[in-house]
Amino acid sequence: MENSTLSSTLAPGITVGRQGRRRHQVKKTMQDLLKHCLIIGVGLFFALPLLWMVATSFKADRDVFHTPLRLLPYVNTMVTVNGQQLPLYDVKIGDQVRQLALVKLEESIGDFVDPHDPTQTFPQVRMKFAEPVMQVGFRWQNYVDALNYNPRSGSGATIFTYLRNSLIICFFAIIGTVASCAVVAYGFARINFPGRDLLFIFVMGTIMLPFQAIMIPQYVFFNDFLHWGNTLLPLIVPTFFANAYDIFLLRQFYRTIPEELCDAARIDGASEFDIFARVVIPLSRPALAVVAITTFLFHWNDFQAPLIYLTSPQNFTMALGLADFQGQRQILWNMLMAASTVFTVPIIVGFFFAQKEFIQGIKLTGIKE
Amino acid sequence: MRTFKIISLLVLAALILSACGGGATPVPPTQPAAPPTTAPQATAAPKPTTPPPTAAPTAKPAPAKLKVWIEMSDNPKLFQDEFAKYGKVNNAEIEVVCPAPMDKILAALSGSDAPDVIAMSGSTLAQSLAYQGLTLDLKELATMGGIDLNDIYASSLVVCQQGSKLACLPWGTDTNALFWNKDMFEAAGLDPNKPPKTLDELNQYAEKLNKKDAKGNYTQMGFIPAFPWSQQGTINYLFGGSNYADGGHTLTVNSQGNIDSYKWAQSFYKKYGAKKVIDFQSGFGDYASSENGFFAGKVAMAVDGEWVTGPNFIPKFAPELNYGVVPIPVAANRLDKYGSATVGGTIVIVPASTKNKQATAKLLAWMESPETVAEIMYQFANLPSSKKAAQDPRFKTIKNFQVFIDIMANPNSSGLLNSPINQELNDAITKAEEEIWATDVDPAKLMNDIQKEFEPKLKDAWAKVK
Amino acid sequence: MSASPAVRIERAYNPFTWSKRTRRNFRVGMLFLSPWLIGFVVFALYPMVASLIYSFNDFSFHQALKWVGLKNYIDLFQDKYFWIALANTGYIVVIGVPLILVFSFSCAVLLNIKVPGQSVYRMMYYIPAIVPTVASTLLWIWVLNPQYGLLNTALGFVGIDGPNWFRDPNWSKPALLLLALWGTGNTMIIYLSGLQDVPAHLLEAAELDGAGWWQRMRHVTIPMVSPITVYNSIIGMIVMFQYFTQAYIFSRVSSANYAGQSPVGQPLNSTLFYSIYLYQNGFQFLKMGYASAMAWILFLVILACTVVMLRVSERYTYYSG
Repeated sequence: MENSTLSSTLAPGITVGRQGRRRHQVKKTMQDLLKHCLIIGVGLFFALPLLWMVATSFKADRDVFHTPLRLLPYVNTMVTVNGQQLPLYDVKIGDQVRQLALVKLEESIGDFVDPHDPTQTFPQVRMKFAEPVMQVGFRWQNYVDALNYNPRSGSGATIFTYLRNSLIICFFAIIGTVASCAVVAYGFARINFPGRDLLFIFVMGTIMLPFQAIMIPQYVFFNDFLHWGNTLLPLIVPTFFANAYDIFLLRQFYRTIPEELCDAARIDGASEFDIFARVVIPLSRPALAVVAITTFLFHWNDFQAPLIYLTSPQNFTMALGLADFQGQRQILWNMLMAASTVFTVPIIVGFFFAQKEFIQGIKLTGIKE
Repeated sequence: MRTFKIISLLVLAALILSACGGGATPVPPTQPAAPPTTAPQATAAPKPTTPPPTAAPTAKPAPAKLKVWIEMSDNPKLFQDEFAKYGKVNNAEIEVVCPAPMDKILAALSGSDAPDVIAMSGSTLAQSLAYQGLTLDLKELATMGGIDLNDIYASSLVVCQQGSKLACLPWGTDTNALFWNKDMFEAAGLDPNKPPKTLDELNQYAEKLNKKDAKGNYTQMGFIPAFPWSQQGTINYLFGGSNYADGGHTLTVNSQGNIDSYKWAQSFYKKYGAKKVIDFQSGFGDYASSENGFFAGKVAMAVDGEWVTGPNFIPKFAPELNYGVVPIPVAANRLDKYGSATVGGTIVIVPASTKNKQATAKLLAWMESPETVAEIMYQFANLPSSKKAAQDPRFKTIKNFQVFIDIMANPNSSGLLNSPINQELNDAITKAEEEIWATDVDPAKLMNDIQKEFEPKLKDAWAKVK
Repeated sequence: MSASPAVRIERAYNPFTWSKRTRRNFRVGMLFLSPWLIGFVVFALYPMVASLIYSFNDFSFHQALKWVGLKNYIDLFQDKYFWIALANTGYIVVIGVPLILVFSFSCAVLLNIKVPGQSVYRMMYYIPAIVPTVASTLLWIWVLNPQYGLLNTALGFVGIDGPNWFRDPNWSKPALLLLALWGTGNTMIIYLSGLQDVPAHLLEAAELDGAGWWQRMRHVTIPMVSPITVYNSIIGMIVMFQYFTQAYIFSRVSSANYAGQSPVGQPLNSTLFYSIYLYQNGFQFLKMGYASAMAWILFLVILACTVVMLRVSERYTYYSG
């Protein structure tokens, strides 16, 4: 590179030399700072709602929608009076405000007692004169309640049953999807046969019809023809026959593998399957990992299909279990968030350990690197 | 090569799996559904080894296997326990699926494996299904099972009537009344024990109860017509309006009563500024939480249902609330209607594909019996549609609940009429209501448009119903 | 190739003119494709054909079919909600898909920068994608609360008076887009894998040539990840055309008609997307025939768009293979 080219592409005014280097340092630090700010800023966008979700999972029913907005969970301050745990209130008696413990509350009238002197009682106080004393506190009980939430006694199904079912489905779905899509995608990517592109459009066509339209005939097919109603089969078996999303993804990925590698193997007399198995598959680990992960997440979160196919609670999945927290006119927010947190934490942990595996791509820029 | 072997083995395994499932070749869908009561399907057969009852007099007859699906998800355990009790006593095996969202119910109804009884939170879908002939006439079934239809409040039956047939039966119905916050009344200088009786009074009191902050945004309001949700159905009724006449054969969406009612509701939004009111309402917390606009003392008066007085609402989220309940105020020239309202809520239907009509009728009779209704509806604080059940002393222990029973019993109370296109009509009306509240549009214009659009549709729809 | 395209195609589809090599390729190709072919015939064909047949009938549930020919389709074109739904869906596709692509690509670039705590940031950006859909939608409904939600409170700190995300028809779709952007972890990860594959030596060469950050991005990075962009944009488009779940939950909460029949499209039809209107017709109004007709019209629209995009992308993508 000629010096003139070099200096002409640098910002005008910057000269080479110690002064120039210092300015370059400053510029670089500014850039680093900017990068950091951006990363953190965008990170906040992602993190804050999550933080709220976790915070809500620790809140009491009455605290979830406290206005104005409160991130931290609060609980009633409790005092022990005569061996009983009673909530503390600030009560306006006459002109004074005293801290009293609430003994009984019925129809907006409360009976209070002085926690320091239990013989002093204040019966029949209108609650509009009383404000509860709150303090920051985490309701771990929510998690216990959410995990034990078993609105159907006698069926023996707990959240762990749902977990087991979800894991079974995801496990088989991953095997089926990765195996079948890897094979099919290779056919589309690297084998040149007539009608290939037309058939690919067909493949894409299968995801162009909205689910709502085929839901009912599909249900009738699985339930009435195959008698697979109320089993996990309708959710697992179709995954062994590839799906358009992952075929497309892997096809794109395979096309980035240099043709020369495959040709070299072909010249050596390898069959197409050998090339696939020995050359392409090892190189496509990151893409296969992505397929595995997206398959896992799809089936983990899938609600619609388990909803219509599964009737006994023993067969329910996690997604259906979460729906239990949504009543007809109410949502058990804190328990829903607690359950969702429990639902997501194992995935987060797994991701943390697995991310190095699949994010690191393998360089495929040539035969000799 | 190894990978290939593994893959092909898996593919083979999957093929075998699907073949084992009895993979019949898909049948083109042009065949009509199998007629309901004839061929017994393999899936619902009673225990195959039990001999028929007549052959061995000492052997117990095979228990009837029935499926009950309940749409509402609030307390599956309660339903399971209750139905299990019935099953033990009556030699039946009841499979309870709860909750059963609408999608699930519709999918099941398209298959051959539909449940025998379905409880749903509203009657609209039930009516639509009945118009299609997908459900049984419950008048017949009631006679079969021995249900005393006279024991059921007439007002709660209206939503189930379809001509001379009953598309459904009420099971814990609902109605609405006016809730008012006594403390807020007192603070605004109104007599806390004198809630409004006429709409004029309501307007006056509401104005006194509004409060704004320095920026001009509301911090408190007396009344919001669409809080907690649209009550136009009942308010239209009290104005003498109705969507239908002649049992649903004539469309009267643009009747004067309806228009007057919409105009009254719109006046609130116009007077206080639609955007400000809507923003204020949007800031409320979840309906079932202590931040419910009424529970949190943000709205002084609200039209709401009887379940709010029950264990899942005010006593749970706002036990310190000082409130009362009275019938909904009426227009000054409609005082005769005071004390009434529209009644309608949870219902049960029996799909036409049910296989064991006798057992289903018996189960239905048990569900509608005063004891069962009282037991179950008390737990949710839902209105018992059975007169005898309403006498159950437990209901008197729920504060402010009796008002609702009285409203249901009021001879002027009734239910909303329906038609084969009710769902579509309701959807159009809902959209129109939104516009009425948010903008200055003339309600008469919107209702006339809907009338024009749906009149031919209604005629066509009735022509298709046999 | 010396033969003209027409002749080539003719030759291609006439099995008798295939060379031995082509025959072998066809056999091998079919073998590789067999899992999908079998699955298609067994699982996909019946429902698709069934819904096509329904679309030509006046069909409700579990009833005999009544042939009406093209009536459903003609009625659809005269249905004002059909056009509203199409417009809303068009908005989501035309604005949403590029927005999501740009955003997730930018995030992937950010995540590729070596900073301390990189793994933590990657996790933070990705986790929203694995929160269950229902939970995340409900979560955002609270975040979007006009008076007390996180978003408007944060906007308030910088002096902006946040809009009413639920009840203002102008802001309901942007609200849904925000929710969609929050959950783009999967797209990000795919981009991140692709970014890792960008050959370092090309970037170094460009830097030596004096290319600035943006020029390197434009001339090296973006073309190198173009296969991924193709994938993400086509899949994104197909998915967004069928956008349903989040909008359905959102409109339930945005409406003033909580109890009773589930309202859709609130506020003022701004969230009436195509799949939602389809669902409403099929599962609320019990007009399955009409809904099936809607499905097939959407199918044709998506098919056309996909084919166009595939053709266009062939010209612009760079496959290093």
